[in-house]
Amino acid sequence: MFLINCPFCGEREQSEFKAGGEAHIVRPKQPTELSDDQWAEYLFMRKNIKGIQFERWNHIHGCRKWFNMVRDTSNDEIKAVYKMGEKPPVK
Amino acid sequence: MTKNLRVKSSKLVDETYRISFKFNGTTYYGFKGDTLASALLANNIHLVGRSFKYHRPRGIMTAGSEEPNAIVQLHNGTSRTEPNVRATEIEIYEGLDASSQNCWPSVKFDIGGINNFLSPLLPAGFYYKTFMWPASFWEKYEYFIRKSAGLGKSPDVPDPDIYEHKYIHCDVLVIGAGISGIIAAKTAAKNGFKTLLVEEKSYLGGSTIYQDSEFFKINNQNSASWLEKEINEIKKIENLEIKTRTSVAAFHGYNFLLARENLTDHLPLEQRENKTRQRLLKIRAKKVITATGSIERPLIFDNNDRPGILLSSAIKKYADLFGVACGERNILFTNNDNAYETAMSLIQKGIKVQAIIDNREEIDSKLIKETEKNNIKIYKGYTIVDTFGYKRINSVSIMKLSKDGQKVIGSKENISCDSLGVSGGWTPAVHLFTQSGGKLKFRDDDQVFIPNTYPSNQISIGSCNGDFTLDEILINGPKLLKEFLKIKKTEYENIEIYSAFNKSKRNIWLLPSNKIVGKTKSFVDFQNDATAKDIKLALREGFRSIEHVKRYTTTGMGTDQGKLGNIHALGIISETASSKMGELGTTTFRPPYTPLTFGTIVGRNVGKYFDIIRKTPIHKWHVENKAEFENVGQWKRAWYYPQNGENMHEAVQRESKAARDSAGILDASTLGKIDIQGTDASEFLNRVYTNAWSKLEIGKCRYGLMLNEDGMVYDDGVTTRLDENHYIMTTTTGGAATVLGKLEDYLQTEWPELDVYLTSVTDHYATISVCGPNSKKIIQKVIPEIDLSDKDFPHMSFKNSKIGKVKCRIMRISFTGEQSYEINIQANYAKSVWENCMEAGKEFNITPYGTETMHLLRAEKGFIIAGQDTDATMTPIDLQMDWIVSKKKFDFIGKRSLYRSDTIREDRKQLVGLITDNPEEILEEGAQIVADMNKTPIEMLGHVTSSYFSPNLKKSIALGVVKGGKNMMGQKLIIPMEKKQINVTVTDPVFLDKENKRLNA
Amino acid sequence: MLNYSNVIENDKSYPGLQMREIKPVMKLIIRGKKRQFLSAVGKSLNLLLPNEANTSSRSDQLTALWLSPDEWMIFSNEILKSDDNNYDVEKLLNKNICKTNLGAVTDVTDQFVLINLKGDKIFDLFETGSPFNFNDFKSKKGLVTQTILTKIDIIVHNQDINDVNLFVRRSFSDHLFSWMNDSASRL
Repeated sequence: MFLINCPFCGEREQSEFKAGGEAHIVRPKQPTELSDDQWAEYLFMRKNIKGIQFERWNHIHGCRKWFNMVRDTSNDEIKAVYKMGEKPPVK
Repeated sequence: MTKNLRVKSSKLVDETYRISFKFNGTTYYGFKGDTLASALLANNIHLVGRSFKYHRPRGIMTAGSEEPNAIVQLHNGTSRTEPNVRATEIEIYEGLDASSQNCWPSVKFDIGGINNFLSPLLPAGFYYKTFMWPASFWEKYEYFIRKSAGLGKSPDVPDPDIYEHKYIHCDVLVIGAGISGIIAAKTAAKNGFKTLLVEEKSYLGGSTIYQDSEFFKINNQNSASWLEKEINEIKKIENLEIKTRTSVAAFHGYNFLLARENLTDHLPLEQRENKTRQRLLKIRAKKVITATGSIERPLIFDNNDRPGILLSSAIKKYADLFGVACGERNILFTNNDNAYETAMSLIQKGIKVQAIIDNREEIDSKLIKETEKNNIKIYKGYTIVDTFGYKRINSVSIMKLSKDGQKVIGSKENISCDSLGVSGGWTPAVHLFTQSGGKLKFRDDDQVFIPNTYPSNQISIGSCNGDFTLDEILINGPKLLKEFLKIKKTEYENIEIYSAFNKSKRNIWLLPSNKIVGKTKSFVDFQNDATAKDIKLALREGFRSIEHVKRYTTTGMGTDQGKLGNIHALGIISETASSKMGELGTTTFRPPYTPLTFGTIVGRNVGKYFDIIRKTPIHKWHVENKAEFENVGQWKRAWYYPQNGENMHEAVQRESKAARDSAGILDASTLGKIDIQGTDASEFLNRVYTNAWSKLEIGKCRYGLMLNEDGMVYDDGVTTRLDENHYIMTTTTGGAATVLGKLEDYLQTEWPELDVYLTSVTDHYATISVCGPNSKKIIQKVIPEIDLSDKDFPHMSFKNSKIGKVKCRIMRISFTGEQSYEINIQANYAKSVWENCMEAGKEFNITPYGTETMHLLRAEKGFIIAGQDTDATMTPIDLQMDWIVSKKKFDFIGKRSLYRSDTIREDRKQLVGLITDNPEEILEEGAQIVADMNKTPIEMLGHVTSSYFSPNLKKSIALGVVKGGKNMMGQKLIIPMEKKQINVTVTDPVFLDKENKRLNA
Repeated sequence: MLNYSNVIENDKSYPGLQMREIKPVMKLIIRGKKRQFLSAVGKSLNLLLPNEANTSSRSDQLTALWLSPDEWMIFSNEILKSDDNNYDVEKLLNKNICKTNLGAVTDVTDQFVLINLKGDKIFDLFETGSPFNFNDFKSKKGLVTQTILTKIDIIVHNQDINDVNLFVRRSFSDHLFSWMNDSASRL
């Protein structure tokens, strides 16, 4: 059970949050111009890394805001949390 | 057999308070403070159970949670029965009723004991090897295996006890209240940390609290007296909470720990009513100090499992703490100084020590010299090669060890005894530490695994960190604490310690014997009957990984999780395979450290609190009017309202007919409702629905379909434009939370530039739907001032209104295909409005209907239910709802996916109507649909999604999804059932009023 | 005239804990991001919205709770009439916020049930079902948190020492209150 530092509410238990998959996947601005393969790349393809992973999380039982998290999946260490639209603070 | 083996007054037991209890049907007596084990030993009972595989007689072996043998069933045949309770942990109370497990007909005569003689036929992996062939016989084998296996019986009636959960947040958690834990807790609390100290036993002080001799001194006092003063002091510290009878079960990441607090297990049954039995503590600690101590190692030699063989430290504890002699003629067998401490304790209490067998040659500590003064024969450089006595040890055979310790030399000597204490040194209890993700290192000096790297803000101190002696504990502990708590000094800086103990140890994992290994039964895992021979066999058969050997031999897989013998298994593997212990690693220690009851795990989430129940504002009326309820997600929804003993079918037929013939009323309050405001609200709806919204007039409603980005329908509902920049969206009952979540997701992450705000008002508004040809008249009576003329208030529009001074919204929308009005009103007025409608509708026979009738009515009209007629594979095109997909809009969620090669296939499953040839035949929802019964394999074209008998059409109707169904109108298909085939014809999904005459009437 | 039927019928009392529903109380959710939004609300209500996370502000008539960076709940301090759900504050905010496109105002009066708890056992009760760390929270007047209690979303407003307002969605309130009473009976 993580202890997650919501960028808006502060440190809370993981049970207040919902994970939302890989971060920094931008919805194509003009989907109709994409080939099936390009669209599939956006729609289906996700990374599953052992190591540093960028994830979306939602403080669903708190402020209901989405934010991003950098997490090392090998030891669950949360390296950073940052607001939507912000650049990841670690590489 | 029955003897009183009580000795002088003891530390823990109150001899003025006698308690009676039953063991295997016989009544015995013990004292307050006794564990079941100490009370049995006081009655000279060692034999308490049979081993798992060979059914060998087994006795109490330890005095703690590491006990492998003495596990009993409590209160057999009652609702409070519990299997696998360790006799060494359960405190006796008046009326305790315990019995042995894994034996039949009795522990003294057990039929299964024959396995002991068949043991050559039952090697490691026996079950894997034997019952693999032929595969089809497994089911037959399984019956017999299950019957002969198993430890104890699970209860078969509901648990009468109450269990609770409790969240605790603290600065410092200290696990274990031995001397190290006491020091840690005191230091932390006195330095301002909010501290929690948990201890699995009922008392504080660990083993030092009965270390009451001249050989161990702190500041010139006996270590026990010194510690007692410390304990008295910590009890007064305000920011220190102490919980006894509390054992930590799991140590997770981020210092999240689970502990079980036992509140009533030590009380007589009649004192437990209405009390919480056990509490699961969910602890989040900023810092954790693990001081879980260590577990004494047994020694591995032939027949080392007989009743009467105990850990040497357990014998000392029973004598010192409980005042119980484990035997009258004791032998101690050791590879280190600890057995001499036990010997001195026994001597002081007048209990005879027959001999000490020490596998070390040269030993010279003060403690040993002192022991020798008592005329005890010490066999130096000897080992036990065998033991005798079936239900109780009666003698041992010893032989001299060779210099290298690899074999025995000389001749055998027999010594008689009635109890044998073994001491193989200590294993740090690192289980919790490794659960948390900590990595161990192997210390070659004394052959122990100790903590190396910590994954979170924690330390281990005391003997679980490999500091076994008093001076190590009192010097290293405070040093570590200073650094960990970032404090300048502790009160233990200039402490004086005297210890007569010497650390020397001669470690031999598997002691040599005069017999070959294959002929010995040297138990490594006592509960699972895994022997040194089994481990060696596994290695011979090619197993190398410790994890594989564990599973093949079942070493460490019992309820005790191999707390005693796992380390020996590792040692034997490394010796046999000539690998280094440190490189071999250990098996994974998984939670829980000690077993948890299911009750503790689930807490109060049982019975009516099993799951959350949501109720509508009109719920009480439904109850009062005898509705049957249906669970829809967490909601309780009125399902149907049976009258005069009607069954569901009869009630639904009546309700459905009334709704179309005159008037029906439905509580639709569970529908999700989202208030949408902002200057970009219309644009937002354009992007999330498949149809266009910009041109919707204020005051009008529109039906919308929502897709996932993959093009599949996932929710639908009616959205109403309340004002220029203000909409109210309805969602399905089950979809409310996910729709809001998804819309918020897009708003916050993809389209943050849109000026749109979403607020859930699902619970604020109740929705009362009145439908049928007389609905207009009823609404008019309830709200006389409203103009309901079709011209002024057509289908798919809304009006603000008031009932009394209470504002409300009336929407003319329909899910039944009938003329229909929905009153949306603030929840606390809803029951009253509903009652007004019932009163006003009396003359029209207004009929309350539930979800079942609602489903039937909408099916007649061919309206889908998202989630019933759709799953995550249906596009709007598959639903034959092409009309709702805007061709003009540049983009909406899911649009691109509607043109993928897969979604444009003609032979996708498509929604159609199904009419049975026999109008009385009602299809089963979920039934398969086929065209050709002769084709092999039979091709499944789809399945039935909704099916009802329509009282209005007087025939059976159904919706289903069929491959290429769109182009199969009029075609005959077959629904194969278990005993018959049903012939159906594919039709349009709209069965009733295609022209919408009823809606607009 | 419509009858008013709230969920929680009886006040409950245990050693160190009293629980009752406060009703009818107007509750609004107001949303906005712009600077002008904050000043317009402030001027309209003579109440500054709390800017800092997990805090609240209060005037004679109203209390405002921070819920998220662009979301607040406003509730009336006084008990209103039960036969009328037209609120001047809502009308005023509609005029000054919604009509001027500064933000959103939504009536949630019956979306939430307000349960007031008094006594020194309030947080002992919460600890049996909420993962939130109330250690510092309980001693700081005016703090607000959104969290879960027995898996149900709640808003907790530390109105005063040993005096807490709990907001829960109406449909969950019967279940939650029953659970709270069950738990309170063993504190």
